[in-house]
Amino acid sequence: MRYYIGAEARLRRTIEDTAMAVFAEWSYEEVITPSVDYYDLFEQGMGQAEAQRGFRFTDNDGRLLALRPDVTSSVARMAATLLSERSRPLRFCYAAPVFRQQPQSHAEWRRENTQLGCELIGTNGHAADLEVLRLAAEILSRLDLQASYVITINNVEIFNGVAAQLDLAPAQREQLRRLIDTRESAELQRFIDGFSNPEGRAFLQTTQLTGKREVLRAAREVITNSRSVAALDSLEELWSEIESLGLADRFEIDLSDVSSLDYYTGLSLKVFVHGAGTSVGRGGRYDGLTGNFGRAEPAVGFVLNLDALTEVLARRMTNVS
Amino acid sequence: MITIAIAKGRMQDDALALLARAGVRLDEDARNSRRLALDDESGRYRFIFVKPADVPVYVEHGIADCGVVGRDVLLESQADLLLPLDLGIARCRMVVAAPDAEIMTRSLGMLRVATKYSQIAAAHFGSRGIPVEIIQLSGSVELAPALGLADLIVDLVETGRTLRENGLTVVEEIVESTGRLVVNRASYQLKTESITELVKALEAVVNGGPPA
Repeated sequence: MRYYIGAEARLRRTIEDTAMAVFAEWSYEEVITPSVDYYDLFEQGMGQAEAQRGFRFTDNDGRLLALRPDVTSSVARMAATLLSERSRPLRFCYAAPVFRQQPQSHAEWRRENTQLGCELIGTNGHAADLEVLRLAAEILSRLDLQASYVITINNVEIFNGVAAQLDLAPAQREQLRRLIDTRESAELQRFIDGFSNPEGRAFLQTTQLTGKREVLRAAREVITNSRSVAALDSLEELWSEIESLGLADRFEIDLSDVSSLDYYTGLSLKVFVHGAGTSVGRGGRYDGLTGNFGRAEPAVGFVLNLDALTEVLARRMTNVS
Repeated sequence: MITIAIAKGRMQDDALALLARAGVRLDEDARNSRRLALDDESGRYRFIFVKPADVPVYVEHGIADCGVVGRDVLLESQADLLLPLDLGIARCRMVVAAPDAEIMTRSLGMLRVATKYSQIAAAHFGSRGIPVEIIQLSGSVELAPALGLADLIVDLVETGRTLRENGLTVVEEIVESTGRLVVNRASYQLKTESITELVKALEAVVNGGPPA
């Protein structure tokens, strides 16, 4: 619960306008989705675990409603239903508050935060992935953060391929995911040692999972299954494009970003900015999402957290003055 | 500069000794000082000394880039942190203890559990389907069964002496706890080089024994 008054409100508005202007320049159409919708929509869109963090209540007829915990679910349904006849690709952007329950004293404490987001629906491949990465980079640099941000990228299929190769039961797969996510090297070592297949070793070098092209080279030394190799190829191609755009010093490859495996199907990204203790944005490719609403097609997008960005920039202004 | 939050108390000396062997030293004056925020000799690291339960809070919010704290505290806090290194210091066990080891099998109704670690206790009994009432205390938990406040306790045990002297025996071990290096997720990406250097230096000390 946060008030923005005077200069802070103006700063927040400027950040929002800057992001929306960049989206508009790249031909993204603004979309305004309902703040309140049936809970089922969000469960289909986000999966049960995430949707349950939404604030839920009942309608007159007893049906379960929710304050939207994300915008992507609504946009995906819109694309699959209302706009099913429109020619692809679809490009949409939004600036909209979302609402989630948060654990007490958690660093991501905001129950309400405004997402500046975009969705590119109906197109696959590097061009689309690269487009959203460039958009994110462009917004951050127009906010004068060009020296202070890092965007990490990963392809979740690298993990999925290894997990499939090791033939893990669901509980084991979740354990492996958690150990990689939190970089628990000693426990991870013990887990991997239990398998004769060496591919899991790719995730062992906790201090070398983040970096530039060399990360991919190291991973290729142990990973040979075709699913992961295809993902590594795809990530490497994307990296080459990032290099040729001169953005390599603002991007990092992070093979341990496996926090939302059930949601993303390829590229995943996180945005970090100096001065914020948690990530200020995230996104990726979710080709499985629109299928939940009756029309499967590729989709990629990201969101930036307006309130977190405002806090960082407001503090920066105070420090300067 | 990298800020390191250190849990005050039983882990503090071991943590500082380990960091010193990894090349991060406080000078004599600083060690004897009562200030709660201090810079190391090189000026590249700042130490802050806070209560153990506050270490995950400072690190998760990014006020400290990393911290040294027990696994027991981490499990209780459920903070979202990176845990790259087990430092192997301040080894102890989280256990269920009772005056009577048979209590778990004999009592089929509701067990009352006194503990400082309500999350860990609830998760432990919950995963086994044993209904319990958790009584949150902030210290001297070993007293609770003797005075009739609780049937059993969940607490941290180093030698077991306090348990024995208060007429309690270990019923089961929940988890072993040691000091961990924890790292803020954003710091890891934004200060990669410095953090990696620290992790590697500590890793060498922990795995390689004393290079003095």
